[in-house]
This record gives sequence, C-alpha cells and structure tokens, in this order.
Amino acid sequence: MITGRRSPRLVSRMAPHLVPHLAMARTALITLLSHYRRHPGQLAMLLVGLWVASALWSGVQAINASARDSYARAEALLSPRLERLERRDGAPLGYADFTTLRRAGLPVSPLIEGTIELNDGQRLNVLGIEPLSLPAGGIGEDRRTGNGGEDGANPLGLLQPPGQTRLAPETLATLNFSPGERPITAGGERLPPLVIDAQLPPGTLLVDIARAAELLKRGPRIDTLLLAPGTPAALPAAYRRTPAAQGLSPGQLTESFHLNLTAMGLLALVVGLLIVHAALGLALEQRLGLLRTLRALGVPGRTLVALLAVELVLLGLAGTLPGILAGLWLANILLPDVAASLEALFSASVGASLSLPWHFWAGSLAITLGGLATAGLGMLWRTARLDILALGHALSSHADSRRRQRRQAGLATLAWVFALGLWAWPAPSGTPSLIAGFAMVALALAGSALALPVLLGAALEGLKRCLGGNSPRTALIRWALADLQLQLPRLQLAMMALLLALATNLGVTGMVGGFRLTFLDWLDQRLVADLYLRPPPAAYDSWRDWLETRPEIATLLERRETDTRLIGAEGERPVALQGISADPALTASWPLLATLNADRAAAWQSLREGAALINEQLAIATGLAPGDMLTLASPSGPFTAQVAGIYPDYGNPRGEVTLTVERLIQRFAAKPGSMGLVLTPGLAAADEAALRQRLTRPLPASGEALAPSLVDQRSVHRQARQVFERTFAVTRALTGLTLGVAALALFTGLLAQARERRARLAPLWALGLGRTTLLGVTLAQLGGLALATALLALPLGVALNWALVAEINVAAFGWRLPLHVFPAAWVQALGLAVLVALLAAALPAWRLWRAPPRQLLEEFSAS
Amino acid sequence: MLEMRDIRKAYATPQGPLSVLEGVDLSLAAGASLALMGESGSGKSTLLHLAAGLDTPDSGEISLDGQRLSAASEPARAGLRRTRLGLVFQQFHLVPSLSVADNLTLQARLAGRETPDWSGELLTRLGLAEMADRYPEQLSGGQQQRLAIGRALAGRPALLLADEPTGNLDEASAETVLTLLLELVRDSGCALLMVTHSTRVASRLERRLTLSHGRLLAEEAR
Ligand SMILES: Nc1ncnc2c1ncn2[C@@H]1O[C@H](COP(=O)(O)OP(=O)(O)OP(=O)(O)O)[C@@H](O)[C@H]1O
Ligand SMILES: [Mg+2]
Repeated sequence: MITGRRSPRLVSRMAPHLVPHLAMARTALITLLSHYRRHPGQLAMLLVGLWVASALWSGVQAINASARDSYARAEALLSPRLERLERRDGAPLGYADFTTLRRAGLPVSPLIEGTIELNDGQRLNVLGIEPLSLPAGGIGEDRRTGNGGEDGANPLGLLQPPGQTRLAPETLATLNFSPGERPITAGGERLPPLVIDAQLPPGTLLVDIARAAELLKRGPRIDTLLLAPGTPAALPAAYRRTPAAQGLSPGQLTESFHLNLTAMGLLALVVGLLIVHAALGLALEQRLGLLRTLRALGVPGRTLVALLAVELVLLGLAGTLPGILAGLWLANILLPDVAASLEALFSASVGASLSLPWHFWAGSLAITLGGLATAGLGMLWRTARLDILALGHALSSHADSRRRQRRQAGLATLAWVFALGLWAWPAPSGTPSLIAGFAMVALALAGSALALPVLLGAALEGLKRCLGGNSPRTALIRWALADLQLQLPRLQLAMMALLLALATNLGVTGMVGGFRLTFLDWLDQRLVADLYLRPPPAAYDSWRDWLETRPEIATLLERRETDTRLIGAEGERPVALQGISADPALTASWPLLATLNADRAAAWQSLREGAALINEQLAIATGLAPGDMLTLASPSGPFTAQVAGIYPDYGNPRGEVTLTVERLIQRFAAKPGSMGLVLTPGLAAADEAALRQRLTRPLPASGEALAPSLVDQRSVHRQARQVFERTFAVTRALTGLTLGVAALALFTGLLAQARERRARLAPLWALGLGRTTLLGVTLAQLGGLALATALLALPLGVALNWALVAEINVAAFGWRLPLHVFPAAWVQALGLAVLVALLAAALPAWRLWRAPPRQLLEEFSAS
Repeated sequence: MLEMRDIRKAYATPQGPLSVLEGVDLSLAAGASLALMGESGSGKSTLLHLAAGLDTPDSGEISLDGQRLSAASEPARAGLRRTRLGLVFQQFHLVPSLSVADNLTLQARLAGRETPDWSGELLTRLGLAEMADRYPEQLSGGQQQRLAIGRALAGRPALLLADEPTGNLDEASAETVLTLLLELVRDSGCALLMVTHSTRVASRLERRLTLSHGRLLAEEAR
C-alpha cells in the first residue's frame, strides 16, 4: 500500500527542510485513508451522501439558473428604457397613429406581438418590429449596428426578401429545424428563413412587422408604439405614455415558484449531508485509536488535523463532481416539465434545454463543499482536542450521550418555540411572507428531527420497563431493546433523514392531492359550457346574432377580457378585468369563497346591477373584502363598484376583477372575446356533430373570411389537467428522490456498522441462539424503529401539509387551499418506511446469516 | 542520552490533585539499558510518557539527546519522537488497515528514514517474513507484539521506550519476544528503558530502578 518514498526533486531543491515533512504527511495520509479500504461501506456512504446532496441541489439550481437566463433575455428583449405609447381614448393603434407621431417629429417605432401555431402544433410568440425606425439598443445590443457578423444580424436582413425569422438557438433545437429552413404555419404559410440570434429569449420569433402582420392576420392594427428614451415629455394631446408597471416581469412572477424549488433542493442537500455527517462521525470514531497511535509515532497534532482536512477535500471532490454531473442529467430530464408549467402558470417562456452561467458551477461546488466542511468541522475539532494519552480508549461514555441527549432536546424545544412564534405572530405587513413561511417549516422540521432520537430512546426505555416475565422470549426481547438503545446513536442520523423525507413526502403529497381535488372541482364549476368558440373579432357580433337563433344552443355565455388599473389609496396596481354573462347557467355553480352576509344569490344579483367580484389573489394582496368599494381606471374616467364577493382563481398569477360583460363593453371598450355554448339538453348526436362542423367554417353573413376557433370542454379540461400534472411532476420527483436518499442513508448506515453488529451478535450465537433467530431479531429491531419513526412522521406530515396550503401557498401564489388528509397515504407511508428499513437491513442481515460459524467465532474472540 | 532532573507530576482528580512523581532524577547513557520497576500505580507509565514527550511534567527538566523536551513545542516533541524514539506498549496499537509489512515500516517512513534492507532483516528475524502481506488481526498475540517491536526499531531510534511489552503474553512467548527484543536492541545499538513487573526480565538488563511513593529508590547494583 505504501510505496517507496520518492520526494519530488523540485521541492527538495527549493526547500530541503520541507522534504521530510512531505514524506511524513504523505505516509500519514495514506495510513489514514487505508481505513476506508477495510471499511468500504463507510466510503460508499460518504460518497453516496455527497453525490446525492450535490446532485439534487445542483439539479434544482441548474433548473433555476436556466430559467433565470431565459427571463433575463426576455426582459432584455425590449429594453426597459423604451417607453410605450397608447391612445387616450383607448382605441387600438394603427399605422395612421405612427405616421401622425412621426410627422410630429417623435422617434416612435411600431411593434406587433402575437402567437402563431406551426403545422406540427407548436405555438410560438411572434414579435414584429420595424427595423429602420427601432430606437438604438431597443432590442438586444447589436441589432442596429449591423455588425452581427455571420449570424446575419444586419437590420436590413429582416427587410430584404425573403426576409428573416430570428430565433434563439434553443428554439431552433426544439423546433428541429436547421438555419435557413422555412417552417410552415398551421395556416399553410411559410415563415422567412430561420436565422440564429442568441440574444432572443426561447420561444420567440423576431420578424419584420409586415411579415408579422400577415402571419398574425392583424390587418392595419399595431399593438404598441415604442418611444426612444430621452424623448421630451410633451406628447400630442391624443396620446399618453403607457404606465410602466403594466405587468410584472416574468422574473418577479416566477420568483415564488423558484423559491419552492430551492427549498426542495435545500431539503435534499440537508438530508444528503446528514448521511455525510453520520459517515464522518463513524469514520472518526473508528480511527480514534489510529489517530492516537500516529501521534505517539511522532505525527504532530496539527498535521493530523490538516491531513483530515485534506481527506475531506479529496472525498468532497470525489463525491461532488459526479454529483453535479448527475444533477445536470436530472435537470435535463425535469426541465421540459418545469418549462411547461412556467409557461402555463405565468406565461413565462423558458428554454427546454439547459443554459448555465459559469457561476452555477462555482456555486454548486461551493455549497456542497461548504456543507461538507460544516459536517466535517466537528470531526476536525474532536481531532484537534484529542487526548493523546487515552490511547485506544472507547469514546463516548454514558454520561456523554446523556448530556448530548439533553442538549438535543433543548435545541428541539427551542426550534419548535421559534416555529410556533413565527406562526402566531405573522409578518407586520399583513400579507404572509414566503421566507417566514419557509423558516417556520424549516424550524419545525429541524426541531422534530432533533427530538426524534430523544423520543425513540424514551420509547425503548419505556418498553423495557413494561416488559415483565422471565421467559426466554422476554429475555431475548429485552436484549433486542437494549441492543437497539446501543445502536441508536449510530442510526439516529439515518432515522432523522427518514423522518424528514417521510414528513415532506406526506406533506407534499397531501398538498398536491388536495390541490388536485380542489382544482378539478373548480374546473367543473367554472367550465359549464359544452363548447367554447372564439370568432374572428370583426365577425363576433354576426356570430352571436346567428347563434342566438339556433335551437341547438340553450345558453350563450359571453366572456371578454382587458387590462386596467386598480386605483387605491396607496397608488395604482395593474389588474386583469373580465366580463362574464351573469346567467344562472354559469352563476349557479361558480364557486364563491366569501360574499356579503354569505348570500350567494344576492352577490350575483348585485353583480348584474353593477357590483364587482374579485379573485382571492387580489383580495389577499389588497385586503379588499365583500362590501368594500373599489375603483378602476377606465377610458372614460374612474369606475367605482362595490365588491360583492371573492372567488377562487387557481393557476392565475394576477389579480383579477370580474364585472358583467355589458359593463366591459360600455365602460372599458373591451375587445370581443370568446363565447361558451351550453347545448340544449337531449340534443341528438348527429345535430351536435353538424353544429360543430358548422362552427369550424367562416360565417358568410359576416363578410369575414376567417373561421372561428372552437374547443370543446373536454379538451379544455384535459389541457388544464395536463398543466396541473406537469406543474407537480417536479415536486413529486424531488420528494420521491428525497425518500430514496433517506433509504440510502439507512442502508449505508447499516452497512457501515455491519462488522460491529456481527461482533455484537456473535456472543448470542455462541450462547446458543440460531442464526435464523438472530436474523429475525435484527429485522424486527429495524422494522420497529422505522415504524416508530414513521408514526412520528404522520403528525409532522399533516402539519407540513397545513403549512403548505395555508401559509406557503398563500404567500407564493396568493390562494389558500382547504386542508385535505389522505389516510391511505398514511398507511402507504408507514408501509414504505418499514419496507425501506427492511430493504436496508436485508444485505447486512443476509451476510450475517451466511457468515460461517468460524467467522462468527473470530469476531466473538475479537470483541 | 536521556536526562530527567527533579521531575514532578500530579494528576487532577475529583478528590483533588494526585501527586504521582515527587522529584525523580534519572539518566540513561547512549546504548545502555534500564529496567523500571515498581508497584502497580506507582507512576512507571507516567514517567515513560514524560520521557516520550507524550505528556509534560509540572516541573523539572527532561532532555533527550541534549535537546530540552520540556521547552520544546508540541510539533518539535513530535519530531523528536518520530526520529529519535521507538515506543512499544502493552497493547500493541497496530494499524488494522495496514499490512504487516506496512505496519513495520510505518514509523520509519513517517520519519523519512526507511532502509529496506533493515526492514527486511527485522521481518525475518522477528519471524514475520511469511506473513508480510497479512493484516494484524490475522496474527497471534505474540506475533503482534513482535510486529510492534519491529515498528519501533525500523527507524533505527536512539532510545527504545517499552511499557511492559510482554505483559499481555504467555510465559513462553514472553521469553521469545524478550530475547528477540534484547538481541535487536543490542545489534542496533540503541538505548532501552523498559517498564516491567518481572525481576527475571529486569535481571537481563544492565541497570534496574524501582519507583516507590513518587521517588526512585537507590539503585541496586547488579
Ligand atoms: N490521566 C490520569 N488522571 C488521573 N490519574 C491518573 C491518570 N493517569 C494515571 N493516573 C494515576 O496515577 C497513578 C500512576 O499511574 P501509572 O499509570 O503511571 O502507574 P503504573 O506504575 O504504570 O501502574 P501499572 O503498573 O498498573 O501500569 C495511578 O494512581 C493512576 O491512577
Ligand atoms: Mg503502567
């Protein structure tokens, strides 16, 4: 193992007195590391712990970093310094407005935005710009300087036939096209040739405004006029600047989503580091004799500490680097789901492939190595204070472990007191804070984990006391309990990991399950129509008139939407505004969380008479309650209405006000929207099919050549359900993995002390107990311990579930969910815990069972 | 070689300080051998630990090879131990994860003074050559103690400190081990300070001192 001394010649020439020290350090390090050759289980446990911790943590961070990179590009797409203009009368902008303003000498540039669908069903954002008038630096950096080089960022490239479609490399990759190709839209049109532009956010196509108008069927309308920065304040009277805070940036909106992910990653990191801590403690304990021997042979104490630190770094790198690679692999698998749910929840486009800045690598390495250092600090400290003369002494005395238990119990109590304090005294701002919510959960989890060994120890002591009688069986059980007490200090970290993983699993499963029930109910209540039709805006009225005459249709539910601002005492905030038909077909099932005097019918009646409903998010954010008055900005001045009720609005990141559709038309000049069609009950299948057919073709009477778009309720349902499943796919994957980590912790913990276990069981074998009995005892001990841990995890899981639905969800998304408990999941968790323990115990137990009597005897005499 | 002047040492105990050494003077010339005797608890191990620099006296002077141990820093004392001393204990304190051959050369390598010829000779003379690749747990008690002696001598120390090196062995193997030890000490020319209970063992060494009530009794001439 130790090879001949070969001191590097360079070193010897530079510092001759260093050479003997290097030789000593090298020999001592090799001797220290030789421990792991005899205890490969411990090495495996250490590496696996580090590997898992860094894999899950860096996986989550890779997802976050990629998403942030996408947001940054989306925000940089249109420089935030550009102002936007709108008409004071709320009418849509057209090219005439552009000409007017240009002739008035203002540096404006038109822009249109929209979504197109390709012939393979993929949907993409389209941004049409006018390259010649676009203010410098308006989009990205180089676009106007024309020095984009080979990626063809010359502004004229967009204009010169056949034009260009610029897109991010990730978008190109997901579309599965090569540069220069011309994808075909669902409407059968060819896009201009594709050109890569790395500054664009994923999912966005940049084309010339004329091409965009064609692709989006926009006619002469434009969406907005951009105003170069530094333009004098005065504008022609008919125009005004669009308020800057028109919407939150995707980065802000999605912050809470990423915070959730980070919290999950942190949990996995902690669980992984628990394994590492346990393995390091074991490796130190078993090497105390070796450390003292080395001291006696003349290795200075501080050299030993330094060498153990070197060992930590070596192990850290060996575990962390593959861990980060595994994390990237994991992130690659999860990212498409994350991207889909971010798109669905927040309309934020995130590339489905990883794009990582350099600091991701540095950060992941630093966090895991930092965690390792924290876990290893105790080891170094104990080494530094090692009493050299206690050569070969056993370490922790009974009194030591008593003291440690008392300290642990004290810390646990403290953590719980702080957690309850955070719950009882909420943030002064009134709105729940996400950080405080997470701190509360973290403290409760930490407190429970610390209390676990104390509780388990007390339970074992109590059981031992209760055990009466003197039969051989009780003697064996008493021995098993006492032996378990001895094992507990070694297994406590693994049991803590199991507790945390089980509780998180229960809490998150409960939250997701409860959310699913609530969400699906809510979908049913809100989606009352059988078909949803969105006619071309110009043909909207003709379609409505025609549909109202149709006998197949029982009720027509109109819906329009627009944006406005809520005017409050502390300023304005942007809100979404929707108008609905307050028809009994809809209002009978539409869920309301709160109404004045708990009178649903009255709330709907007041809506018809001009009152407003607001969603839960807006109510929580503003503190508005039924009976309060709210004021909205409208084209014709402030619009005031009473709040008649609050409704749940899951999955919507924005605050929303609901009025009748008539008000939206009269007061807010809302553009035509969609209509829900409730079919006449008992409609023949053939008639329904004919109607559907009819609804996919243009209406001749309207003079509009475009067909409306039609979706049926079932496909809306399916889509919503898909979005839901994808949103929680990541959460579920991470909690599942954390449980796997806990199982690994238990397994490696058992493997690492398998040798000692055998030495403790050997005397029993020598005293005449069969190996099958010993095997049974071992399995019963661990299964029982895991079962007890799982029983403690149940209330903790429910508490966590409650904290998630009632505190964290409110802070993160703005809605509260009812608490659902799932007893089936509890039974599953109990079974899972026992199964995990038995699986972990299986290999060491099997090896014990297979061990030849001779080996047991050797271990007996060695013990 | 080894000089101890007016050494005092007390241990703190719950019942107050326990004075173990109360003014011990001892000197040992290079290449000489000395047996240290005394009742159990008389402080023999304490004296040996002080001589090895594993512990420090409350007062008094210890010098090894002309270097003052009591004034040296912990790393300096460790350095002296590494390069000048060999230690053999009643419990063998072998490294379980190193092979017999690697255990034997461990201290010599730590000191950077390994000589393969000498290590090979030690292995052969200690009767361990056939089991060079085994691990300590696969050796008998006598073999383990022989290995510990080989480890102490492989670096050619100037002074060998042994604390009841045969206390754990049966009479026959104790005799073999002791004979080997004395032979090897004589051939390597190092000094020897050995703690023992046995007058028979002590009689094979050049000098004999007895520790009693914190002091050394007058030397008995041989
Ligand atoms: N670390 C310590 N703390 C307190 N008292 C100690 C300590 N080490 C030794 N003693 C006490 O000092 C006295 C001398 O101990 P020492 O080990 O030197 O005796 P010894 O002569 O080697 O005995 P033995 O022949 O049994 O090995 C004993 O009474 C012992 O109890
Ligand atoms: Mg002694």
